[in-house]
Amino acid sequence: MNVREKTIRQVRRPKLGLTGKLFVPLFTAGLTTAIRHLFSRKRTVNAPEVRHEIPRPEIYRGLHRLNRDERGRVKCVACFLCATACPAHCIDIVAAESPWPDRDKYPQLFQIDELRCIYCGMCEEACPVEAIELTPIYDLIGPSRAQMIFDKAKLLDVYDATWESKKEETR
Amino acid sequence: MIEPIVKMVVLMVILMGAAAYLVLLERWVAAWIQDRRGPSRVGIPMTRIRLGGLGQPLADGIKLFFKEACTPTYVDRALYFLGPLIMFTAALATFAVIPFGDVLPGIGGGEPIALVVAPGIDVGLVYVFAFSSIAVYGVLLGGWASNNKYGFLGGLRSAAQLISYELPLGLGILGVVLVAGSLRFETIQYAQAESGLWYVVSQPLGFLVFFVAAFAESGRLPFDLAEAEQELVGGFHTEYSGVKLMLLLVSEVFHLFIVSFLIVLLFFGGWHFWGITGCGSTVSWTTGLLRVVVLLGKVMLVTLFFLVARWSWPRFRFDQMMALAWQVLVPLGLVHLVATAFWWEFGPVWAARWGFSLPVMTVVWGWAVFAIVIGLTAWLVPETSDNRPRLEEDWR
Repeated sequence: MNVREKTIRQVRRPKLGLTGKLFVPLFTAGLTTAIRHLFSRKRTVNAPEVRHEIPRPEIYRGLHRLNRDERGRVKCVACFLCATACPAHCIDIVAAESPWPDRDKYPQLFQIDELRCIYCGMCEEACPVEAIELTPIYDLIGPSRAQMIFDKAKLLDVYDATWESKKEETR
Repeated sequence: MIEPIVKMVVLMVILMGAAAYLVLLERWVAAWIQDRRGPSRVGIPMTRIRLGGLGQPLADGIKLFFKEACTPTYVDRALYFLGPLIMFTAALATFAVIPFGDVLPGIGGGEPIALVVAPGIDVGLVYVFAFSSIAVYGVLLGGWASNNKYGFLGGLRSAAQLISYELPLGLGILGVVLVAGSLRFETIQYAQAESGLWYVVSQPLGFLVFFVAAFAESGRLPFDLAEAEQELVGGFHTEYSGVKLMLLLVSEVFHLFIVSFLIVLLFFGGWHFWGITGCGSTVSWTTGLLRVVVLLGKVMLVTLFFLVARWSWPRFRFDQMMALAWQVLVPLGLVHLVATAFWWEFGPVWAARWGFSLPVMTVVWGWAVFAIVIGLTAWLVPETSDNRPRLEEDWR
Protein backbone atom coordinates (compact mmCIF):
# COMPACT_ATOMS: atom_id res chain seq x y z
CA MET A 1 0.00 0.00 0.00
CA ASN A 2 1.28 3.39 -0.96
CA VAL A 3 0.83 5.89 1.84
CA ARG A 4 1.90 9.39 1.02
CA GLU A 5 4.09 11.13 3.52
CA LYS A 6 1.68 14.04 3.76
CA THR A 7 -1.17 11.92 5.05
CA ILE A 8 0.84 10.61 7.99
CA ARG A 9 0.60 12.75 11.06
CA GLN A 10 3.16 12.07 13.73
CA VAL A 11 1.65 12.22 17.23
CA ARG A 12 4.08 12.58 20.05
CA ARG A 13 3.46 11.62 23.62
CA PRO A 14 2.86 14.84 25.57
CA LYS A 15 5.67 15.83 27.90
CA LEU A 16 4.84 15.21 31.54
CA GLY A 17 7.04 17.85 33.08
CA LEU A 18 8.55 17.78 36.53
CA THR A 19 5.28 17.58 38.47
CA GLY A 20 3.85 15.10 36.02
CA LYS A 21 6.71 12.72 36.64
CA LEU A 22 5.92 12.87 40.35
CA PHE A 23 2.26 11.99 39.64
CA VAL A 24 1.20 15.31 41.19
CA PRO A 25 -1.43 16.34 38.58
CA LEU A 26 -2.75 12.79 38.46
CA PHE A 27 -3.05 12.54 42.22
CA THR A 28 -4.68 15.93 42.72
CA ALA A 29 -7.11 15.31 39.88
CA GLY A 30 -8.05 11.92 41.28
CA LEU A 31 -8.46 13.19 44.80
CA THR A 32 -10.51 16.23 43.83
CA THR A 33 -12.77 14.10 41.65
CA ALA A 34 -13.32 11.62 44.47
CA ILE A 35 -14.03 14.33 47.04
CA ARG A 36 -16.36 16.16 44.67
CA HIS A 37 -18.36 12.99 44.18
CA LEU A 38 -18.32 12.32 47.92
CA PHE A 39 -20.58 15.34 48.42
CA SER A 40 -22.44 15.35 45.15
CA ARG A 41 -26.10 14.49 44.63
CA LYS A 42 -26.72 10.76 44.86
CA ARG A 43 -28.13 9.14 41.78
CA THR A 44 -29.77 6.16 43.47
CA VAL A 45 -32.98 6.31 45.51
CA ASN A 46 -34.16 4.36 48.51
CA ALA A 47 -36.41 1.97 46.62
CA PRO A 48 -39.08 0.82 47.28
CA GLU A 49 -40.08 3.69 49.58
CA VAL A 50 -38.86 6.26 47.11
CA ARG A 51 -39.48 5.56 43.47
CA HIS A 52 -37.37 6.65 40.58
CA GLU A 53 -38.93 9.53 38.80
CA ILE A 54 -39.24 8.55 35.17
CA PRO A 55 -38.48 11.68 33.23
CA ARG A 56 -40.67 10.95 30.20
CA PRO A 57 -43.20 8.21 30.94
CA GLU A 58 -44.71 8.46 27.47
CA ILE A 59 -41.60 7.02 25.89
CA TYR A 60 -40.57 4.70 28.72
CA ARG A 61 -40.50 1.04 27.74
CA GLY A 62 -41.91 -1.04 30.59
CA LEU A 63 -44.78 -3.47 30.91
CA HIS A 64 -47.15 -3.71 27.95
CA ARG A 65 -50.81 -2.85 27.88
CA LEU A 66 -53.60 -3.38 25.39
CA ASN A 67 -55.52 -0.19 24.78
CA ARG A 68 -59.28 0.03 24.74
CA ASP A 69 -61.19 2.13 22.28
CA GLU A 70 -63.81 4.67 23.31
CA ARG A 71 -66.46 1.95 23.73
CA GLY A 72 -64.24 -0.10 26.03
CA ARG A 73 -63.49 -2.79 23.49
CA VAL A 74 -60.00 -3.97 22.77
CA LYS A 75 -58.46 -1.82 20.06
CA CYS A 76 -56.43 -4.63 18.55
CA VAL A 77 -57.47 -5.86 15.10
CA ALA A 78 -55.32 -9.01 15.19
CA CYS A 79 -53.18 -7.98 12.24
CA PHE A 80 -50.12 -9.84 13.60
CA LEU A 81 -47.78 -6.93 12.83
CA CYS A 82 -46.55 -6.79 16.41
CA ALA A 83 -46.00 -10.54 16.56
CA THR A 84 -44.08 -10.33 13.29
CA ALA A 85 -41.99 -7.39 14.41
CA CYS A 86 -41.18 -8.91 17.77
CA PRO A 87 -37.51 -9.98 17.79
CA ALA A 88 -38.00 -12.15 20.86
CA HIS A 89 -41.10 -13.92 19.56
CA CYS A 90 -42.93 -13.33 22.80
CA ILE A 91 -46.32 -12.28 21.38
CA ASP A 92 -48.84 -14.99 20.70
CA ILE A 93 -52.10 -14.08 18.93
CA VAL A 94 -55.05 -16.20 17.87
CA ALA A 95 -57.33 -14.22 15.60
CA ALA A 96 -61.06 -14.75 15.26
CA GLU A 97 -63.97 -13.27 13.38
CA SER A 98 -64.85 -9.95 14.94
CA PRO A 99 -68.21 -9.75 16.70
CA TRP A 100 -68.33 -6.04 15.89
CA PRO A 101 -69.26 -4.64 12.50
CA ASP A 102 -66.43 -2.04 12.28
CA ARG A 103 -63.60 -4.52 11.77
CA ASP A 104 -62.96 -7.97 10.37
CA LYS A 105 -60.87 -9.62 13.06
CA TYR A 106 -60.21 -9.34 16.72
CA PRO A 107 -57.79 -11.23 18.97
CA GLN A 108 -59.46 -14.20 20.58
CA LEU A 109 -56.22 -14.89 22.41
CA PHE A 110 -53.48 -12.30 22.91
CA GLN A 111 -50.67 -13.17 25.24
CA ILE A 112 -47.23 -11.78 25.86
CA ASP A 113 -44.52 -13.70 27.66
CA GLU A 114 -43.14 -10.90 29.81
CA LEU A 115 -40.12 -12.99 30.76
CA ARG A 116 -39.17 -13.47 27.15
CA CYS A 117 -39.81 -9.87 26.12
CA ILE A 118 -36.76 -7.67 25.72
CA TYR A 119 -38.76 -4.44 26.03
CA CYS A 120 -37.53 -3.07 22.72
CA GLY A 121 -40.81 -1.38 21.84
CA MET A 122 -40.95 -2.76 18.31
CA CYS A 123 -44.54 -3.95 18.84
CA GLU A 124 -45.58 -0.44 19.72
CA GLU A 125 -43.81 0.86 16.63
CA ALA A 126 -45.44 -1.74 14.41
CA CYS A 127 -49.03 -1.42 15.61
CA PRO A 128 -51.18 0.38 13.02
CA VAL A 129 -54.07 1.11 15.40
CA GLU A 130 -52.10 2.05 18.50
CA ALA A 131 -53.48 -0.88 20.40
CA ILE A 132 -50.33 -2.10 22.11
CA GLU A 133 -48.22 0.27 24.17
CA LEU A 134 -45.44 0.10 26.72
CA THR A 135 -46.14 1.65 30.11
CA PRO A 136 -43.68 3.05 32.66
CA ILE A 137 -44.18 0.05 34.99
CA TYR A 138 -40.68 -1.36 35.39
CA ASP A 139 -40.75 -3.53 38.51
CA LEU A 140 -42.74 -6.52 37.35
CA ILE A 141 -42.62 -9.63 39.47
CA GLY A 142 -44.62 -12.82 39.62
CA PRO A 143 -44.65 -16.03 41.63
CA SER A 144 -44.36 -18.36 38.66
CA ARG A 145 -43.40 -18.41 35.00
CA ALA A 146 -46.99 -19.21 34.04
CA GLN A 147 -48.21 -16.04 35.72
CA MET A 148 -45.70 -13.96 33.83
CA ILE A 149 -47.43 -14.83 30.58
CA PHE A 150 -49.88 -11.96 30.37
CA ASP A 151 -53.11 -12.71 28.55
CA LYS A 152 -55.63 -10.31 27.05
CA ALA A 153 -57.54 -9.72 30.27
CA LYS A 154 -54.40 -8.92 32.20
CA LEU A 155 -53.10 -6.60 29.52
CA LEU A 156 -56.41 -4.77 29.44
CA ASP A 157 -56.24 -4.50 33.22
CA VAL A 158 -52.87 -2.84 32.86
CA TYR A 159 -54.56 -0.31 30.57
CA ASP A 160 -57.24 0.33 33.16
CA ALA A 161 -54.57 0.86 35.80
CA THR A 162 -52.35 3.13 33.74
CA TRP A 163 -54.52 5.00 31.26
CA GLU A 164 -54.57 8.08 33.45
CA SER A 165 -50.87 8.23 34.15
CA LYS A 166 -49.77 7.60 30.60
CA LYS A 167 -51.55 9.98 28.32
CA GLU A 168 -52.00 9.64 24.61
CA GLU A 169 -49.00 9.28 22.37
CA THR A 170 -47.02 12.48 22.13
CA ARG A 171 -44.53 11.70 19.46
CA MET B 1 -2.19 -7.56 87.26
CA ILE B 2 -5.84 -6.58 86.94
CA GLU B 3 -5.12 -3.38 85.04
CA PRO B 4 -3.50 -4.91 81.93
CA ILE B 5 -6.23 -7.52 81.70
CA VAL B 6 -8.95 -4.89 81.88
CA LYS B 7 -7.14 -2.83 79.27
CA MET B 8 -6.72 -5.87 77.03
CA VAL B 9 -10.40 -6.75 77.20
CA VAL B 10 -11.48 -3.17 76.55
CA LEU B 11 -9.01 -2.87 73.69
CA MET B 12 -10.15 -6.12 72.09
CA VAL B 13 -13.80 -5.10 72.25
CA ILE B 14 -13.13 -1.62 70.93
CA LEU B 15 -10.85 -2.90 68.19
CA MET B 16 -13.26 -5.50 66.89
CA GLY B 17 -16.09 -2.98 66.95
CA ALA B 18 -13.96 -0.36 65.26
CA ALA B 19 -12.88 -2.84 62.60
CA ALA B 20 -16.49 -3.78 61.92
CA TYR B 21 -17.56 -0.18 61.67
CA LEU B 22 -14.59 0.72 59.52
CA VAL B 23 -15.83 -1.82 57.00
CA LEU B 24 -19.22 -0.09 57.08
CA LEU B 25 -17.55 3.30 56.72
CA GLU B 26 -15.52 2.00 53.81
CA ARG B 27 -18.68 0.79 52.09
CA TRP B 28 -20.33 4.15 52.73
CA VAL B 29 -17.40 6.13 51.38
CA ALA B 30 -17.21 3.84 48.38
CA ALA B 31 -20.91 4.29 47.74
CA TRP B 32 -20.87 8.05 48.18
CA ILE B 33 -17.94 8.50 45.86
CA GLN B 34 -19.77 6.43 43.27
CA ASP B 35 -22.91 8.59 43.76
CA ARG B 36 -24.75 5.77 45.50
CA ARG B 37 -26.32 5.78 48.96
CA GLY B 38 -24.61 2.78 50.49
CA PRO B 39 -25.86 0.39 53.17
CA SER B 40 -28.86 1.99 54.85
CA ARG B 41 -31.21 -0.85 55.76
CA VAL B 42 -29.93 -2.92 58.64
CA GLY B 43 -30.74 -1.51 62.05
CA ILE B 44 -31.70 -3.19 65.30
CA PRO B 45 -32.42 -6.88 64.68
CA MET B 46 -36.03 -8.10 64.95
CA THR B 47 -37.36 -4.56 64.75
CA ARG B 48 -38.05 -2.19 61.94
CA ILE B 49 -35.70 0.46 63.31
CA ARG B 50 -33.04 1.14 60.72
CA LEU B 51 -30.63 3.69 62.23
CA GLY B 52 -29.43 4.51 58.75
CA GLY B 53 -27.67 1.19 58.31
CA LEU B 54 -25.68 1.14 61.54
CA GLY B 55 -26.58 -2.51 62.14
CA GLN B 56 -24.78 -3.59 59.00
CA PRO B 57 -21.51 -4.68 60.72
CA LEU B 58 -23.49 -7.04 62.94
CA ALA B 59 -25.16 -8.59 59.92
CA ASP B 60 -21.82 -8.89 58.14
CA GLY B 61 -20.23 -10.54 61.15
CA ILE B 62 -23.07 -13.01 61.60
CA LYS B 63 -22.96 -13.81 57.92
CA LEU B 64 -19.22 -14.51 57.95
CA PHE B 65 -19.48 -16.60 61.10
CA PHE B 66 -22.27 -18.82 59.85
CA LYS B 67 -21.02 -19.21 56.32
CA GLU B 68 -19.74 -22.64 55.49
CA ALA B 69 -16.03 -22.72 56.29
CA CYS B 70 -15.03 -24.72 53.28
CA THR B 71 -11.57 -26.27 53.37
CA PRO B 72 -10.49 -27.51 49.96
CA THR B 73 -9.15 -31.08 49.96
CA TYR B 74 -5.91 -30.18 48.21
CA VAL B 75 -4.62 -27.62 50.73
CA ASP B 76 -1.80 -28.14 53.17
CA ARG B 77 -4.05 -28.24 56.18
CA ALA B 78 -1.65 -27.20 58.93
CA LEU B 79 -0.27 -24.21 57.05
CA TYR B 80 -3.69 -23.35 55.69
CA PHE B 81 -5.01 -22.89 59.22
CA LEU B 82 -1.81 -21.24 60.41
CA GLY B 83 -1.83 -18.45 57.80
CA PRO B 84 -4.86 -16.46 59.01
CA LEU B 85 -3.99 -17.17 62.63
CA ILE B 86 -0.51 -15.71 62.25
CA MET B 87 -1.80 -12.65 60.45
CA PHE B 88 -4.52 -12.00 62.98
CA THR B 89 -2.31 -12.61 66.00
CA ALA B 90 0.45 -10.40 64.66
CA ALA B 91 -1.97 -7.60 63.83
CA LEU B 92 -3.63 -7.80 67.23
CA ALA B 93 -0.37 -8.11 69.15
CA THR B 94 0.89 -4.91 67.57
CA PHE B 95 -1.76 -2.94 69.41
CA ALA B 96 -0.13 -3.85 72.72
CA VAL B 97 2.28 -0.94 72.37
CA ILE B 98 0.19 1.53 70.43
CA PRO B 99 -1.12 4.24 72.76
CA PHE B 100 -4.73 5.36 72.48
CA GLY B 101 -4.12 8.56 74.33
CA ASP B 102 -1.66 9.72 76.91
CA VAL B 103 -2.52 8.98 80.54
CA LEU B 104 -5.58 9.35 82.70
CA PRO B 105 -5.31 10.33 86.36
CA GLY B 106 -5.71 7.33 88.64
CA ILE B 107 -9.09 6.56 90.13
CA GLY B 108 -9.23 7.66 93.78
CA GLY B 109 -5.75 9.15 93.78
CA GLY B 110 -4.08 5.98 92.55
CA GLU B 111 -1.37 5.61 89.97
CA PRO B 112 -2.03 7.37 86.62
CA ILE B 113 -3.42 4.97 84.04
CA ALA B 114 -1.39 4.86 80.86
CA LEU B 115 -3.70 4.40 77.90
CA VAL B 116 -1.74 1.57 76.33
CA VAL B 117 -1.75 -2.11 77.14
CA ALA B 118 2.00 -2.38 77.66
CA PRO B 119 3.20 1.06 78.80
CA GLY B 120 6.80 2.12 78.81
CA ILE B 121 8.24 -0.37 76.35
CA ASP B 122 11.59 1.01 75.31
CA VAL B 123 11.58 -0.68 71.91
CA GLY B 124 7.96 0.09 71.02
CA LEU B 125 8.73 0.94 67.41
CA VAL B 126 10.90 -2.13 66.92
CA TYR B 127 8.10 -4.23 68.38
CA VAL B 128 5.60 -2.79 65.89
CA PHE B 129 7.94 -3.40 62.99
CA ALA B 130 8.75 -6.92 64.15
CA PHE B 131 5.09 -7.87 64.23
CA SER B 132 4.29 -6.19 60.95
CA SER B 133 7.06 -8.33 59.42
CA ILE B 134 5.52 -11.46 60.89
CA ALA B 135 2.32 -10.64 59.04
CA VAL B 136 4.23 -11.36 55.83
CA TYR B 137 4.52 -14.98 56.95
CA GLY B 138 0.76 -15.18 57.17
CA VAL B 139 0.46 -13.96 53.61
CA LEU B 140 3.13 -16.33 52.34
CA LEU B 141 1.83 -19.35 54.23
CA GLY B 142 -1.74 -18.67 53.19
CA GLY B 143 -0.76 -18.31 49.55
CA TRP B 144 1.48 -21.37 49.57
CA ALA B 145 -0.83 -23.65 51.53
CA SER B 146 -3.81 -22.82 49.31
CA ASN B 147 -2.20 -24.91 46.56
CA ASN B 148 -3.79 -22.58 44.06
CA LYS B 149 -1.98 -20.66 41.34
CA TYR B 150 -3.90 -17.45 41.92
CA GLY B 151 -3.47 -17.67 45.64
CA PHE B 152 0.20 -18.44 45.29
CA LEU B 153 0.86 -15.61 42.85
CA GLY B 154 -1.06 -13.22 45.08
CA GLY B 155 0.92 -14.37 48.11
CA LEU B 156 4.23 -13.97 46.31
CA ARG B 157 3.38 -10.52 45.01
CA SER B 158 2.21 -9.47 48.44
CA ALA B 159 5.30 -10.83 50.15
CA ALA B 160 7.60 -9.12 47.65
CA GLN B 161 5.73 -5.87 48.16
CA LEU B 162 5.66 -6.01 51.94
CA ILE B 163 9.34 -6.94 52.22
CA SER B 164 10.38 -4.26 49.76
CA TYR B 165 8.43 -1.52 51.46
CA GLU B 166 9.69 -2.38 54.89
CA LEU B 167 12.98 -0.70 54.02
CA PRO B 168 11.58 2.75 53.20
CA LEU B 169 9.16 2.35 56.11
CA GLY B 170 12.10 1.92 58.46
CA LEU B 171 14.15 4.64 56.79
CA GLY B 172 11.26 7.08 57.07
CA ILE B 173 11.05 6.79 60.82
CA LEU B 174 14.81 6.80 61.43
CA GLY B 175 14.87 10.58 61.28
CA VAL B 176 12.17 10.78 63.93
CA VAL B 177 13.93 8.25 66.12
CA LEU B 178 17.19 10.12 65.72
CA VAL B 179 15.73 13.46 66.71
CA ALA B 180 13.55 12.15 69.53
CA GLY B 181 16.41 9.96 70.73
CA SER B 182 14.17 7.04 71.60
CA LEU B 183 12.09 4.22 70.20
CA ARG B 184 9.46 4.75 72.87
CA PHE B 185 6.16 6.11 71.65
CA GLU B 186 5.76 8.15 74.84
CA THR B 187 9.11 9.89 74.38
CA ILE B 188 8.39 10.65 70.73
CA GLN B 189 5.02 12.07 71.80
CA TYR B 190 6.47 14.32 74.44
CA ALA B 191 9.27 15.46 72.15
CA GLN B 192 6.65 16.71 69.69
CA ALA B 193 4.31 18.09 72.34
CA GLU B 194 6.96 20.02 74.24
CA SER B 195 8.47 21.67 71.19
CA GLY B 196 5.04 22.08 69.59
CA LEU B 197 6.74 21.17 66.33
CA TRP B 198 5.27 18.09 64.70
CA TYR B 199 7.75 16.01 62.77
CA VAL B 200 5.69 16.38 59.61
CA VAL B 201 6.70 20.04 59.67
CA SER B 202 10.36 19.56 60.43
CA GLN B 203 10.92 16.35 58.44
CA PRO B 204 8.71 16.50 55.34
CA LEU B 205 10.93 14.17 53.37
CA GLY B 206 10.83 11.51 56.05
CA PHE B 207 7.08 11.89 56.24
CA LEU B 208 6.71 11.45 52.48
CA VAL B 209 8.84 8.31 52.46
CA PHE B 210 7.06 6.87 55.47
CA PHE B 211 3.61 7.78 54.19
CA VAL B 212 4.06 6.19 50.79
CA ALA B 213 5.66 3.10 52.31
CA ALA B 214 2.90 2.87 54.90
CA PHE B 215 0.32 3.08 52.14
CA ALA B 216 2.03 0.18 50.43
CA GLU B 217 2.43 -1.74 53.67
CA SER B 218 -1.28 -1.52 54.41
CA GLY B 219 -1.90 -3.00 50.95
CA ARG B 220 -4.56 -0.51 49.95
CA LEU B 221 -5.56 0.56 46.57
CA PRO B 222 -2.75 2.28 44.75
CA PHE B 223 -0.65 -0.62 46.03
CA ASP B 224 -3.14 -3.47 46.31
CA LEU B 225 -1.40 -5.64 43.75
CA ALA B 226 -1.59 -8.63 46.04
CA GLU B 227 -5.33 -8.87 45.75
CA ALA B 228 -5.98 -6.97 42.58
CA GLU B 229 -9.55 -8.13 42.16
CA GLN B 230 -9.53 -7.63 38.43
CA GLU B 231 -6.37 -9.65 37.85
CA LEU B 232 -5.70 -12.11 40.62
CA VAL B 233 -9.11 -13.29 41.79
CA GLY B 234 -8.48 -12.00 45.31
CA GLY B 235 -4.85 -12.81 45.96
CA PHE B 236 -3.65 -15.05 48.71
CA HIS B 237 -7.06 -15.43 50.34
CA THR B 238 -8.72 -16.89 47.27
CA GLU B 239 -9.21 -20.26 48.94
CA TYR B 240 -10.35 -18.96 52.30
CA SER B 241 -13.93 -18.73 53.44
CA GLY B 242 -15.98 -18.28 56.59
CA VAL B 243 -14.24 -17.39 59.82
CA LYS B 244 -10.74 -17.76 58.37
CA LEU B 245 -11.56 -15.22 55.68
CA MET B 246 -12.95 -12.95 58.36
CA LEU B 247 -9.68 -13.19 60.29
CA LEU B 248 -7.77 -12.19 57.17
CA LEU B 249 -10.07 -9.29 56.39
CA VAL B 250 -10.07 -8.07 59.98
CA SER B 251 -6.30 -8.19 60.11
CA GLU B 252 -6.19 -6.10 56.95
CA VAL B 253 -8.38 -3.54 58.65
CA PHE B 254 -6.08 -3.71 61.69
CA HIS B 255 -3.11 -3.03 59.44
CA LEU B 256 -4.91 0.06 58.21
CA PHE B 257 -5.45 1.16 61.81
CA ILE B 258 -1.84 0.46 62.75
CA VAL B 259 -0.56 2.43 59.81
CA SER B 260 -2.88 5.35 60.61
CA PHE B 261 -1.81 5.29 64.25
CA LEU B 262 1.87 5.22 63.29
CA ILE B 263 1.46 8.16 60.91
CA VAL B 264 -0.32 10.19 63.57
CA LEU B 265 1.97 9.20 66.45
CA LEU B 266 5.23 9.71 64.63
CA PHE B 267 4.51 12.65 62.37
CA PHE B 268 1.30 14.43 63.38
CA GLY B 269 2.02 14.95 67.05
CA GLY B 270 -0.08 12.12 68.43
CA TRP B 271 -2.37 13.47 71.12
CA HIS B 272 -0.89 16.96 70.93
CA PHE B 273 -2.75 19.91 69.54
CA TRP B 274 -1.63 23.47 70.08
CA GLY B 275 -3.46 25.26 72.84
CA ILE B 276 -5.88 22.46 73.65
CA THR B 277 -4.12 19.50 75.17
CA GLY B 278 -1.14 21.05 76.91
CA CYS B 279 2.13 19.18 77.00
CA GLY B 280 2.82 18.25 80.63
CA SER B 281 3.00 14.69 81.86
CA THR B 282 0.52 15.25 84.71
CA VAL B 283 -3.01 15.60 83.46
CA SER B 284 -6.47 16.32 84.77
CA TRP B 285 -9.41 14.25 83.59
CA THR B 286 -10.31 16.90 81.03
CA THR B 287 -6.92 17.11 79.37
CA GLY B 288 -6.47 13.35 79.59
CA LEU B 289 -9.74 12.69 77.79
CA LEU B 290 -9.10 15.57 75.40
CA ARG B 291 -5.83 13.97 74.39
CA VAL B 292 -7.64 10.71 73.63
CA VAL B 293 -10.18 12.58 71.51
CA VAL B 294 -7.50 14.50 69.64
CA LEU B 295 -5.45 11.39 68.92
CA LEU B 296 -8.41 9.32 67.77
CA GLY B 297 -9.73 12.24 65.70
CA LYS B 298 -6.44 12.52 63.89
CA VAL B 299 -6.34 8.76 63.31
CA MET B 300 -9.88 8.96 61.96
CA LEU B 301 -8.88 11.68 59.52
CA VAL B 302 -5.89 9.72 58.26
CA THR B 303 -8.08 6.61 57.88
CA LEU B 304 -10.65 8.63 55.95
CA PHE B 305 -7.91 9.82 53.65
CA PHE B 306 -6.97 6.19 53.02
CA LEU B 307 -10.58 5.35 52.24
CA VAL B 308 -11.01 8.24 49.82
CA ALA B 309 -7.63 7.59 48.20
CA ARG B 310 -8.81 4.12 47.33
CA TRP B 311 -11.26 5.57 44.82
CA SER B 312 -8.97 8.34 43.58
CA TRP B 313 -5.98 6.71 42.03
CA PRO B 314 -5.35 3.84 39.65
CA ARG B 315 -3.25 0.88 40.68
CA PHE B 316 0.48 0.87 40.03
CA ARG B 317 1.96 -1.67 37.71
CA PHE B 318 4.08 -4.20 39.57
CA ASP B 319 7.41 -3.09 38.13
CA GLN B 320 6.49 0.54 38.78
CA MET B 321 5.73 -0.27 42.39
CA MET B 322 9.00 -2.12 42.85
CA ALA B 323 10.91 0.69 41.15
CA LEU B 324 9.22 3.19 43.43
CA ALA B 325 10.38 1.28 46.49
CA TRP B 326 13.93 0.46 45.49
CA GLN B 327 14.90 3.26 43.14
CA VAL B 328 13.06 6.19 44.66
CA LEU B 329 11.99 5.68 48.26
CA VAL B 330 15.09 3.90 49.57
CA PRO B 331 17.48 6.57 48.22
CA LEU B 332 15.16 9.32 49.45
CA GLY B 333 15.04 7.72 52.87
CA LEU B 334 18.82 7.44 53.01
CA VAL B 335 19.25 11.05 51.97
CA HIS B 336 16.75 12.09 54.59
CA LEU B 337 18.55 10.12 57.27
CA VAL B 338 21.90 11.65 56.38
CA ALA B 339 20.44 15.15 56.16
CA THR B 340 18.73 14.81 59.54
CA ALA B 341 21.84 13.38 61.16
CA PHE B 342 23.91 16.18 59.64
CA TRP B 343 21.61 18.86 60.96
CA TRP B 344 21.34 17.21 64.33
CA GLU B 345 25.11 17.22 64.59
CA PHE B 346 25.86 20.71 63.31
CA GLY B 347 22.59 22.64 63.65
CA PRO B 348 22.83 23.35 67.40
CA VAL B 349 26.50 24.29 67.07
CA TRP B 350 25.79 26.75 64.27
CA ALA B 351 22.76 28.06 66.10
CA ALA B 352 24.89 28.84 69.10
CA ARG B 353 27.64 30.40 67.00
CA TRP B 354 25.51 32.62 64.76
CA GLY B 355 22.60 33.05 67.11
CA PHE B 356 19.63 32.02 64.92
CA SER B 357 16.54 30.24 66.16
CA LEU B 358 17.14 26.51 66.07
CA PRO B 359 13.51 25.31 65.53
CA VAL B 360 12.92 27.75 62.67
CA MET B 361 16.12 26.77 60.94
CA THR B 362 15.32 23.07 61.48
CA VAL B 363 12.09 23.56 59.58
CA VAL B 364 13.83 25.57 56.88
CA TRP B 365 16.51 22.90 56.56
CA GLY B 366 13.91 20.14 56.35
CA TRP B 367 11.91 21.83 53.62
CA ALA B 368 15.03 22.89 51.69
CA VAL B 369 16.23 19.28 51.64
CA PHE B 370 12.72 18.19 50.67
CA ALA B 371 12.49 20.63 47.76
CA ILE B 372 15.96 19.86 46.41
CA VAL B 373 15.60 16.09 46.67
CA ILE B 374 12.11 15.99 45.21
CA GLY B 375 13.15 18.29 42.38
CA LEU B 376 16.14 16.05 41.63
CA THR B 377 13.90 12.98 41.67
CA ALA B 378 11.45 14.55 39.27
CA TRP B 379 14.29 15.50 36.98
CA LEU B 380 15.94 12.09 37.06
CA VAL B 381 13.05 9.66 36.77
CA PRO B 382 12.20 8.60 33.21
CA GLU B 383 9.07 9.82 31.48
CA THR B 384 7.77 6.33 30.94
CA SER B 385 8.77 2.91 32.09
CA ASP B 386 8.24 -0.15 29.99
CA ASN B 387 8.05 -3.66 31.37
CA ARG B 388 7.34 -5.49 28.15
CA PRO B 389 9.77 -8.24 27.24
CA ARG B 390 12.20 -6.94 24.67
CA LEU B 391 13.06 -8.63 21.40
CA GLU B 392 16.61 -9.48 20.43
CA GLU B 393 16.91 -6.68 17.87
CA ASP B 394 15.78 -4.10 20.41
CA TRP B 395 18.92 -4.72 22.40
CA ARG B 396 21.23 -3.85 19.55
